[in-house]
Formats: sequence, C-alpha cells, structure tokens
Amino acid sequence: MTGGSSIIAELRAIQRAHGFIPVTALRDLSERARVPLYQLHGVVSFFPHFRESPAPPVEVLVCDDMSCHRRGASALLAALEEHVAQAGPPGTVVRPVSCLGRCDRAPACAVNDTILSRVTLDGLAPHLLTAAVGGTLPAEHATPDGRALRVDPYAEAGQRYGAARKLATDGDAAGVIAALKASNLRGMGGAGFPTGLKWEIVRNAEGSEKYIVCNGDESEPGTFKDRYILENAPHLLVEGMVLAGLVTGARQGIVYIRHEYEAQIEIVEREIARARAAGAVGPDVFGSGRAFELEVFVSPGGYICGEESALLEAIEGKRAEPRNKPPFPGTHGLWNKPTVINNVETFVMTPTILLRGPEWFKAQGKSGAPGLKFVGISGDVVRPGAYEIAMGTPAREVIFDLAGGIAGGRRFKAWAPSGPSSGYLPPALVDTPLDFKALADVGSMLGSGAIVVLSEDACMLDMALNAVRFFRNESCGKCVPCRVGSAKLVEILGDIARGHGRPEHLTVIDDLAHALTLTSICGLGQVVPVPIKSVLTHFRPEIDDHLLRRRCPAGVCPMTGV
Amino acid sequence: MSPGAAVKLTIDGRETSVAPGTTIFDAARGLGIEIPTLCHAQHQTPVGVCRVCTVDVKNNRVLAAACVRPAEDGMIVATATDGVQRARRTLVELLLSDHPSPCARQRATGDCELERLGAGYAVTTPRFGHHDASRGRDESSFFIAVDHTACILCDRCIRGCSEVKNNFVIGRTGKGHQAGIAFDTDVPMAASTCVGCGECMVSCPTGALTNRKIVDVDLPAGEEMSAEQLQKLDIFKRMSGTFLDLNRGAVVRRRFEPS
Repeated sequence: MTGGSSIIAELRAIQRAHGFIPVTALRDLSERARVPLYQLHGVVSFFPHFRESPAPPVEVLVCDDMSCHRRGASALLAALEEHVAQAGPPGTVVRPVSCLGRCDRAPACAVNDTILSRVTLDGLAPHLLTAAVGGTLPAEHATPDGRALRVDPYAEAGQRYGAARKLATDGDAAGVIAALKASNLRGMGGAGFPTGLKWEIVRNAEGSEKYIVCNGDESEPGTFKDRYILENAPHLLVEGMVLAGLVTGARQGIVYIRHEYEAQIEIVEREIARARAAGAVGPDVFGSGRAFELEVFVSPGGYICGEESALLEAIEGKRAEPRNKPPFPGTHGLWNKPTVINNVETFVMTPTILLRGPEWFKAQGKSGAPGLKFVGISGDVVRPGAYEIAMGTPAREVIFDLAGGIAGGRRFKAWAPSGPSSGYLPPALVDTPLDFKALADVGSMLGSGAIVVLSEDACMLDMALNAVRFFRNESCGKCVPCRVGSAKLVEILGDIARGHGRPEHLTVIDDLAHALTLTSICGLGQVVPVPIKSVLTHFRPEIDDHLLRRRCPAGVCPMTGV
Repeated sequence: MSPGAAVKLTIDGRETSVAPGTTIFDAARGLGIEIPTLCHAQHQTPVGVCRVCTVDVKNNRVLAAACVRPAEDGMIVATATDGVQRARRTLVELLLSDHPSPCARQRATGDCELERLGAGYAVTTPRFGHHDASRGRDESSFFIAVDHTACILCDRCIRGCSEVKNNFVIGRTGKGHQAGIAFDTDVPMAASTCVGCGECMVSCPTGALTNRKIVDVDLPAGEEMSAEQLQKLDIFKRMSGTFLDLNRGAVVRRRFEPS
C-alpha cells in the first residue's frame, strides 16, 4: 500500500539541499523516478514553494489579501519596498504573496520562509538584518489555548480514541454511517456534502485499495479555523480518520497540510506517533486485525490545492489541476481508487457524534441548524480569532459578542461569511444564522466559516478587486474561463478603480460571470465573479459613484484617470 | 470499458442509444449534431480545458463539457441553448482578446480554428480589449515556429507529443494566467529533446505551432471543407469519412483570381 507519490517530497529535499531546484538535479530525479523531465518541470513551475533559481539573500513575502489588506498590508508593502531600496539589506526582494493563514494576526509576512505576524515596518527591519546574516528568526508558538472544546468528548487524555476503540471492537460500521447520517453532519470545508453518505459511498465501492484523505490545505483569505483545530484537537482529527478507515476498509490515510503550517504539521505528526503508541494507528488497530496507516503530506502550496481533486493530483506528484467531474473521489479518488476526502473539521466532529450520539450533536445547534461549527473571524474587529460556536449562531453574536465588535469605534460596513468566495453582505443581514441553508437563502454561503468584517473606511470596489485578484493569482490555469476570465475581470475592476470605468463594463461583467460560473471546471473559477456580483447587489451606489461620478467615496481607489 | 447495457439519452430532442462510457460529444456526433470545440481532437484523450463544447444537461447546476462528460441514462442534453451560446461566445471572445489575429496559421492557410469560431460568433473587437503584449516567440527550430502569444493552452500539442507519439517533450509550465507550453525544462525547442516529428504542429488549432516554410507565404484565405464536401470530389470518393474528418484542415478550398 502506497500513500502519496514521492515526487513532491523528493523535490522538497532537492530544494533543501541546494536552496533551489537545479536542472541537473531535476534530470537526475527524472531518470531515477522514471518521470519525464517536462512533467517534473511542469510540477516545479506550478507550485509557488519551488524555486528554479537560487533564492535572494533576504526574501520578504507580504500578504495583502482581505484581512491583511484591511490591516494596512498595501501601505506596509509600499513602505517596505522603499525602506529596502534605501536601507537594504542589499539583495532583499519584497513581493506580495497569497494568504498565509494568519488572518487573525494581520498583517502577516514570510521572511526567508519564517512566518511573522502583526508586522510593522519598524518591527520588521531588525528581522531583515538577522535574515541577511543567516540568523534565526523568532518561530511562531502553536500551543493549545486551554479552552475546553465542546466537540471533544474526552475530559482526560487517557480516554482518547474511545470511539475508534469501540468500533474496532464491535465492528459496527453500518451503525457509524447511520449515526453520521442521523447527525446531519456535512462537509465543513465549504461544499457541505453529507458525511455519512460520503463514507457509505466509499464503503460500498468495489476494490480493496481505498484511501482516507484529510484536506488541511485551508488557504482562502480569512480561513484559519483548521489551524486552530490542528493545534487544539489533533487527537480528534486522527481519530476521525481512523474511524473513516475502519468504516470504509481503507488502510491508508493522508493528512494534507499547507506548508505554511509548520508548527501544526509537527503537532499532527506527534499525535500520529501517540496514536500509534496507543494502538489506534498501525498494522492492527486496537486488536481488530485491521490495519490503518497515517502520514502527513506537506503541500507545496497554492489555494487550488484545497479543491479536492487538485489536492489528489498534488499527492500523486502532479500539477494541482482539478479533474473533470464526474467521476468523483468517492469512486475515483487518489490513484483512481475510492477515497474519502474530508476537511479537518469534518473528521474532528465524528468521534463526539459516535460517543454522545447524533441527538446530542444536533442539539448543540441554534436557529434550527444542527451541530457545532468552528469559525475564524478577522478584519476590522476588536478580537479576531477562531471560535467554536453553535451551528446557526447569528453572525451578529460572533462579530459583536465573541469578536468584540468593530475595531476603533468605526461604523460597520460589510461582512463576508466565508472569505472572498462567499461575497460581501451588508449590515442589514447580520442577524442571518451561520448555517448552510440560511446563508444560501441570502445568496451567500457558509463555506469554511471565514468571517471577514469591514468597517466604514473600506471601499467595496477595492475589496471586490482584492478578492478577484486573489482568485486570478491562485487560478491553476487549466481551463479558459478561469485562466483568462479572472485576469480580464481584474483588468476591468482595476480600470473602474482608476476612473476609467464605463457603464458597458457592467454588461461585460455579467457575461463574464455567466461564463465563469457555468463553464469553469472547478469551484475556484465558479466563484471568481462572486465578490463583484455581491457588491453590485448590496452596495450598488458605491459602484455607480466610481463608474458614473468617477469618485471613490471611501477615498481608497487611485482614480488617477479622472 | 466494461460491457453493459446501452445508455439512452436525449440530445436536442432526439433520442439516442450509446455504449456506456460514450461522451456526450460522441453521442451527439452520432446523431450528426456538431458541437464546437477547440481543445478536443477525436484521436486524443479528452481533457475538457477550453470549455467551448459546453452543453446544457437538464437539472445540472452548471453546464457540462461535452467532450469529457460521459452520457448517462435518461440524460436530457441541449447543445445550443441561448445560455450555452452566450457562454461559448464569451469564451471565444476571451481567447481572441489575447490572440494575435490574424495569427500565422490564419495568414498562411486561413484555418485558425479560434479565428474561425470568432467569425462564427461575429466577435470583431473583443470587449476585453486587445492585448498586444507578446508572450514570446521561439524560432530555434529549423522548421517549427512557436508563437506563444497565439497559444490557447488547448493541450493538443501536449497530447500529440506524449500520447499520439511517445516523445514526452511538451508540457505546461507556470500557473494560472501566466501558464504556457514548454519544451522539457522550458528551453528553446531546438535545445530540447524534441525529435522534430511535427505532431505538435499538426495538432495545433492556431498559429502557435506552425511550419516555418509555409508561414508568411501570401496565399488567399482558405475555406475548410467538411468530410461530406470532400467525399463529393472524385479524388476523395472512396476514402473513409472518419479519416477525412480527422484530417480536417489538411485540404482547404481556395479561390485564385485569374491573373
């Protein structure tokens, strides 16, 4: 039984040894692994983590996506470029990077691959000097925050893996599926597919080779709740995957985690070792005679890897391009074998459902919605962070109670229920329950629960442009609508922001939205138009100001063409 | 493909029955319904990347790429609804916006598939503006000219190189709007392991990969002929329609003014 392809790990090793991936090493790998050179080059050039030339002495990657953008990242980027040009260190390269997953500690940046958060120019300057002489930068701390989680059925560490132990003993896989179905647990990564049904499809699929994959790639601006879960409940993730293995007959699990989560990767690896020692993972899970092995796969990077079929392609050592569907991973997944692929949070919910029962789980929800939910809240709020809430909690409670309301005493202007892909909603909808159906009913979505809050000084056109630019940068380029359409949409919104907008731009945006939504291969291309469409729906006067009166009411857009 | 009962579906109101695994594109073709495409070629594994073959499948949330979507029992497909045509036109317009029209193929032989589709949808000036930024040329090869600006990333050359032939030289490089095709590790074609078989060139629907000897020869525009039209000519009378269809573009009709 194999897990992931060794190609990505080999490329990472080459980069560790040389600082980049020299063509000679690639040729050597091509011969050793018997993979055509063009294919390896395609992989190396696809993933932002791989370098084809030596790294500069100091490289500063600054995130300017949604939450960091709201916390002054654009100004920081400009100031940093000026500072480096004048004061060095010599050879320092500064450039923007896609969301680093530190939205609660914005703005974030990476200096020579070490992630720093809540950065200021003054705070950053000494780190650049340290990096220039090869010094060690302060590592992030990732320790449990001590809050008791409702989702954790174990009061004591010694009780952990109780649900897996029970299933290994009684072998009642059908009972697990029935309980998951009764709990109404749905995929927490955004798509909301019923979990019990997914596990059942894989259980019933033909063949003895099956896989369990955890999608821990969360890379959408505003999303960091899985980071919190990995730090605070890694045992529930491991147990959830073991349960899925026992239910479906899969003997191999892979936890796919973005490379920017270095500390969290270590935490999961330590937990897997503990689970192995406890008998929950290994050749004979709790004496059941059933094997289940588990390994971590470190992502070479990119938001597109969060698309489940693209993620599987990456594990197979290929360019992370989404597959045409159907068929779906349940029957044709990793290595074309039946595969359960669930988000971190989805797996984490399963032990408690089995131990406390589906009725207990459903009763944790509010406003008629069942269960629990983890959300991350960031942007212009007093206390950004990850919170465990009742599914169906009105957004108002999260924004104003848990997160302390709008920062700096400013006026509340807009909120995104789940990063750029959910679009922006007005304050009038802030009592909407955070639940799949309630948010779909207002034309948005629960997504991954990445709430981003905007105060009055945000410009909605600028925020739409920021969101669409993220999608363009993260498009894999496989299909025409997403590859070309996202680039054109950025150009059009940029034109409007510079004061070059024309009323007919709205027709073009409509046609683009039609084509992208209906013909893109995957969810990324399909949501590219969502930010601007939502702004046109809820904040139309602001767009008209830019388009017809050539002014940016918030004073954010350059409007240089006026 | 595992044997199984025939799949019955309805395309544009006509019922048909096909073998399991047959794509919507092929099922439609069997009915004589032509679905436009840029990335699909009958002799290559479908990849569904241009999305021009998009069709409406009843009760589906989004449109389906006919070239990769297997026919299913009871499926109701419409190949040319207003919504489908609107999406196709936008896709063609998007590609034409970055296309150096007329490209080398259009100039030489008048058969750039993108420009022909654009003419069909009456796309004159793409509303997305016209990008003249060059994405680079590669004239290192003795007989194949590469114009990356004319490339639409249909992957036909990639499949031609590794699937039709087994040369394994061409692939995609980069990501997103900066993706392109590359030889080996993105070296000039002549410096790569290319054996010069020409399969990429004959696979290419545009002027991205052209035969250097015929480029820029001043010929009047050629009009591509369908297999049916060709079979009406004596010389093609006994040839297989499929063969003629597969080699479309190899024969074009031209009108020369008497000198």
